[in-house]
Order: sequence, then structure tokens, then C-alpha cells
Amino acid sequence: MIEFQNVSKVYQGDVKAIDDINMTVNDGEFVILLGPSGCGKTTLLRMVNVLESITEGDIRVQGKSSKELNPIELRRNIGYVIQSNGLFPNMTIEDNTMIVPDLLGWDRKKKRNRFNYLMDLVGLNPDDYRKRFPHELSGGQQQRIGVIRAMASDPPVMLMDEPFGALDPIIRHRIQDEFLAIQQEVKKTILFVSHDIDEAIRMGDRIALIREGKIMQYDTPTEILTHPKNEFVSEFVGQDRVLKSMSLYSVQDLVDAFNLESSKQEVADTKMIHSDTSLRVAISMLLNQEADQIVIVDQQDNQLGSLTLNLIEKFLHREVKGKER
Amino acid sequence: MNAKKTLATTTKIILWLLVIVFFWWALSNHMFSKIVEQPAQFISLLETHLKLVSISAGIAILTSIPLGILITRPKFRKFEWLIVNTANLGQTIPSLAILALAMGFLGIGIKAAIVALYIYSLLPILQNTIAGLDSVNPATKDAAKGMGLTSTQILFRVELPSAAYSILAGVRTAVVLNIGTAALAYLIGGGGLGVWIFTGIQLFDNSFLISGAVPVTLLAVIVDLLFRGLQLLLVPKGLRLARKAAIDSV
Ligand SMILES: Nc1ncnc2c1ncn2[C@@H]1O[C@H](COP(=O)(O)OP(=O)(O)O)[C@@H](O)[C@H]1O
Ligand SMILES: [Mg+2]
Repeated sequence: MIEFQNVSKVYQGDVKAIDDINMTVNDGEFVILLGPSGCGKTTLLRMVNVLESITEGDIRVQGKSSKELNPIELRRNIGYVIQSNGLFPNMTIEDNTMIVPDLLGWDRKKKRNRFNYLMDLVGLNPDDYRKRFPHELSGGQQQRIGVIRAMASDPPVMLMDEPFGALDPIIRHRIQDEFLAIQQEVKKTILFVSHDIDEAIRMGDRIALIREGKIMQYDTPTEILTHPKNEFVSEFVGQDRVLKSMSLYSVQDLVDAFNLESSKQEVADTKMIHSDTSLRVAISMLLNQEADQIVIVDQQDNQLGSLTLNLIEKFLHREVKGKER
Repeated sequence: MNAKKTLATTTKIILWLLVIVFFWWALSNHMFSKIVEQPAQFISLLETHLKLVSISAGIAILTSIPLGILITRPKFRKFEWLIVNTANLGQTIPSLAILALAMGFLGIGIKAAIVALYIYSLLPILQNTIAGLDSVNPATKDAAKGMGLTSTQILFRVELPSAAYSILAGVRTAVVLNIGTAALAYLIGGGGLGVWIFTGIQLFDNSFLISGAVPVTLLAVIVDLLFRGLQLLLVPKGLRLARKAAIDSV
């Protein structure tokens, strides 16, 4: 758990980067710090592992104030990933990854096992990369190494500063999915900086939207998209926020909402869609293929009903707009 | 690319031919006669020369590298200009003038020569130490700090290995320059192979001149090669490979 209590940061020259922030990141929660460039995301993140001093207030990590702890100890229990990976060019991939375990005095065998496990986690063959050097890897591979290096000693808390920001969109998308799958397994407490609303919606359990050092809204992606608290939030999430919110629902949600009955009626010559597909994809399928309806099927290929634009629109009103005040 | 390679090879061949022609001329005219006639004297001069170089360069290495490390620490950064400019002064003043100054303070003899050579060797090592440490990617240092490495661990595990190439290049430059400059030590009674070189100049005797100058040159070439070997040994493999990859891709 990470608790921010009335945290402020003033840089030399009277720049107030963070202004009285209160928020809590629960155990196992994936929280995104989102906001425009210069709003203070990096500053807030770096105060957690005391790379920046705290001007006022307190930050507690796992119940302990960073003021009580030796910064070195504190940092070794917090994973840290930055955009430009920061891998050590003089060390092999294995030595890079195992730097913290090495400092903690793990023996050779334990380090090797951990390396193999982590490499498997990100889909890289440990033996192929063990003795390679960072410059021999692609950007995506380097960033994966940066991520597992931060996870090496299995810290409960991870700080990530736009870790995938420098990657091209296709690779970024793939790594995001990969990382989400990893998070399902490891359940870390994560604070993740992003300036990309789409990334935030895809990845976050909750999003803290920041502007000029203040939190504008701290909510789940759905709430942020459907009930922006103020002008700034609604502008930041964009005109297409309703469409964006569609990616947060699956076809199954719609099936549940309308209690669609499975029917055995044979519909000739129609497309099928799996119930775990996102509604955003479903909409574009309907629009692209100019089909009036698509048959919804579950994993076992049982038909669950048919999907139409009309139905989606109804769902939209109920789930999204209906909640708006 | 290919044209460049051909040019480089041609130049190399011409240079080696010149060297061979020179040695053939020198040997057939008994230019190395002094080494053959007075081997004991030669060994003693060579010993003094090596002593001048190793002591002055050795102390310069032991001063410049720690000094370079110190002034690249954030706390001492503000003294960088002072130290670098002071060292710069040592380099800009002609070597002869440094010798003269050293003699002024310490009198005639090997001590004054060593001090002068020491001052002369400081800057290349200092400059390259600073440049090497400065070239380490700040993000790399930041990541290291964020993961809980102490500043000493960052220095020894990340910064120095990354700066090794540059530092060694500085040491190599300093030592090779030092070997040549040490020939001037004779002028303030410091001895070394300069004794024969200057005798040769004064007596218009080529055999003295060449018996002194050629060993100095060979010494410089050999030491240069030794240091290149050392670079291969001390610079981490990853950095050498990265460097090579960067050069090849140009
Ligand atoms: N070391 C620093 N010294 C002074 N001002 C800084 C420093 N780092 C950041 N700032 C200022 O603090 C504000 C927030 O910066 P930052 O946290 O980097 O924003 P973000 O990560 O959201 O882009 C900016 O106005 C920036 O100029
Ligand atoms: Mg930032």
C-alpha cells in the first residue's frame, strides 16, 4: 500500500510541482498517474522512493514513512522502471536483471532460477539472452528487461515512469497486454505514470488525473470516462470518451445486462463474435461489415443471441449515459 | 567505405616501407653503433628514462583519476572549472618552460624532471576521466540509484566500467607523450635517453642521435600497443561490442 498524506513539493526557485496531494494505492492495485506533460507525475512518483525529497506531508509505503527508513533499504524494496530503460551497458542481461538480488547477497543458484523464471514470464528464452548485452536487444526487449529487473527481488511495490512510452504503437500494445497478464499473476501494488489516456484506460484499476500538481479526479477508468468531475477531466479524456469507454465492456456485459437467452435458431450467413470481445471491437465489426447483426457465441460456440447496433445503443444509454447526472 | 579502406591500407604499406628503408640505412651506416659499443651506458640511460616516465606518469595516474572522480561528484562539481583550468595551464605552458620552472624550484636533477613530467601528464588523464564519467547516461545512473545502489556501488559497478575506455585512452596519451617529453629531461640534468640525443645534436653525430632517438620512439610505440592491449583487457566486453557496433554502423 502507498499512502500520500498532504504531500507537496516545491523545487528550488519556487516551482510548486505537487500541491497537497492525498491518495491511497491499495495492495495489489494498479494505479495510473495521468496528466499533461509537466503536471508533476514524475515528481510525485520519485518522491515515493525518495529520489526527490518531500517538501511537506508524508508518504507511507507498506505502512512505513519514507522518513523513518534508510533510502537505500527503501529503494531495494520498491521496483523502479523508467522510460529509457537505464540498463547497464557494461553488464550482461543476466547481470543487469540480477543486480538487486546480487546486492542482497542471493546465491548463484537462486539468482539463476529467478532469472529463468522472469525471462519466461516475458517470453524471452533465458539461455539465448543470458550472456548478451543490452545494445544487442531491440527496444521492446530492452524494456522487458527493464521491467523484470525491477521485479527481480520480488518487491511488493513497483514504480513505473512511462515505461512503454518510447516504443512504437504495435510493440507498446503487445507489451501492455503482456504486462497486464503478468500483473494478474503477481498482483503488485503499482504506481504507473502515463500521459496517454488510452494506455491509462487499458491498464489501470484506478486513474489519478493530475493537473498542475493537484488531483482532478481519482477514480476507475469507467467513472472517469462516464462521469468526469469537471471540465478539465472531460476535456482530457476527449470527445470520444463514450467510444473509449466501450473498450471497457465486453459483449458478455451486454448479454448479462439484457439477460439474452440462448437460442438455437439457425441464422444463415452471419458473422459470429465471441462474448469476451470488447464492445468497441464489436461496434467496428458491425460498422465495417455492414451486417445488421452478429451472432454472439461463447467459448463453447453456443449461440447467446444476436448483436445489433440498436442493442449496443440501448446498452450505452443504460450503462454509460444513464449514470450521468 | 571500400575506398577508405584501400587508402588506409596503402598509407600503412608506404609507412612501413619508409620504416624499413630507414632501418636499412641506419644499420648499414652503423647508426646504432653507440648501443653496441656502450651497452652498459645504454642500459643505464634507458633505465633512467623508464624511471622518469614510470614515476611521473604513475603519480599522475594516481592523482588525476581520483581527482576526476571527485570533481564529477555533485558536491564538488563547482570546483571543476578551477581544477580543469589549473591542469590546463600545466598542458598549455610549453614543456620546456615547465622544466625550467621545476628547475627553478627544485634545482638540477632527476627530481625536478619528474615533477615537470608529472605536471605535464596530469591533464590528459584528468580530462578523459571527466569525459568518461560524464558520458555515462544519466538515466542509467538514475535507474541504479532508484533500485537502491549506493553511490559507491554506482561508481564501481556502473560509472567506472563505463568510463574505462576513455580513462585508459587518457592514460595512454599521457604516457606516450611523457616518453617523448622525458627526452628533454637531459636539459635540467635529469638524464635518460635525451643525453645521447642532445649529445648527437651538439656534436653533429648521427650515431649518438639515432642511438638515443630510435629507442625512445620504439618505447613509445611499444607502450602504446601495451595500453591498447590493456584496454582490451579492462574495458567490459559489452561496452567494447557496443562501441564496435556503433562504429561499424556509421
Ligand atoms: N529538478 C527540478 N528542478 C526544478 N523544477 C523541476 C525539476 N523537476 C521538475 N521540475 C518542474 O516540476 C514540474 C513537474 O515536473 P514533472 O514531475 O517532471 O512533470 P511530468 O512528469 O508530469 O511531466 C514542471 O514544472 C517541471 O518543470
Ligand atoms: Mg515525467
